[in-house]
Amino acid sequence: MDMAYLAAGLGAGIAAIGAGIGIGLIGKGAMDGTARQPEASNDIRTSMLISAALIEGVALFGEVISFLLAIK
Amino acid sequence: MIQNFRRVFLTGLLLILGVQLAIAAEGPGNDSNQIDIQGKLRNEYFLDFSPVFGKIQLPRIIYDNNGLHFFSSTTAAINSNSGLTDEYYEEGHSKIIKNGVIQPVTYELVKDDGGHIIADFSLSVAIVYFMLSGFLVLLVFIYLNKKYSEGVGRETEPKGVLQNMFETIVIFVRDEIALINIGPEKYLKFTPYLLSAFFMILFMNLFELIPWGESPTANLTVTAALATVTFLVTQFNGSKDHWKEVFWFPGVPVFVKPIMAVVEFLGLFTKPFALCIRLFANMASGKVLILSMIGLIFVFANKFGAGMAYGTSPIWIVMTLFIYMIKLLVAFIQAYIFTILSALFIGLATAEHEHHDAEPAHQ
Repeated sequence: MDMAYLAAGLGAGIAAIGAGIGIGLIGKGAMDGTARQPEASNDIRTSMLISAALIEGVALFGEVISFLLAIK
Repeated sequence: MIQNFRRVFLTGLLLILGVQLAIAAEGPGNDSNQIDIQGKLRNEYFLDFSPVFGKIQLPRIIYDNNGLHFFSSTTAAINSNSGLTDEYYEEGHSKIIKNGVIQPVTYELVKDDGGHIIADFSLSVAIVYFMLSGFLVLLVFIYLNKKYSEGVGRETEPKGVLQNMFETIVIFVRDEIALINIGPEKYLKFTPYLLSAFFMILFMNLFELIPWGESPTANLTVTAALATVTFLVTQFNGSKDHWKEVFWFPGVPVFVKPIMAVVEFLGLFTKPFALCIRLFANMASGKVLILSMIGLIFVFANKFGAGMAYGTSPIWIVMTLFIYMIKLLVAFIQAYIFTILSALFIGLATAEHEHHDAEPAHQ
């Protein structure tokens, strides 16, 4: 078997785990913030989306690399 | 009323999905239960309306060592005596099987008479849909411009579904994206760019969801072009403080400044790079996900026979529908994210700080 497929699968999974933890922490922070200060929920949502997008971007780098490994 | 609407909506959704399924299922040849996922990600040179209407080849414009050539289609290019050929090309076939693997006809032209192609300006699917969405944006804004010039929406209330809908989004982009991230002095200068970027990306993302549509944003070249525009807008409007922060970061010891300069200079390029990869990966992964879900039907057909494939296909169709809905959400979210991050970068670059070069006083 080609080890590249194994590497791609593992890499995709690990990148997803990292992004999941990161975005989960952001969601937790945003929920805490909104519960404490409901009037600031709009600002919090914007910053939440921005940070989630940044984390997602890093995770997607990993996914793209995995994809390239799998289809090389 | 609402129930009727719901019924019509669901029927329409199922119809669209059915056509999408038929398109995807057309992928594998009859003699092989393979589904060609990579082929769907490729930038083709024909518009594929296959199950119903067939394929429409797009014009090729090729600049080679003999000069510029115009052809009405790829077939015309191959049949002409310009020395252009395609090693996989076969009249009337979309895919051929070579060494047991599906080789889609890529329409990737090569010269067989020893010459070489210098540049390929051919229209591809991505470019066609890119232009189409640009044209749509133009139409929408000309329409809105006419309405507001007549005073509808300024002196009276906005009229009609279209104007109401777009006014909401335009004001959202202006107030929630541009104003917040760029600041009250300069945001009006950049609102046109952000609006164009938002609507272009939104339309391009939504093309994926209509039958036979292709999303140009699932193509790295298109997203790279979009990110380049953001990069240029950011750098050409950079304030003095921005360049000072890049090359001579204030407020850190002198020996750290060269290191910070390298990091900050690289940061100029990584930001648009991330922008480009993010949009591309989000759109392409949705495509791959839907095809993988449909591909599971073929996997089941291969492993357990046709009966199992028919039996389990409702599960995969429901899951495809679920991903389809997520893609609708992602289309809006990614347009929003691209625009808000562009606004953020522009805001960071154009910001002018009050000068406090002296070290902050320690209490």
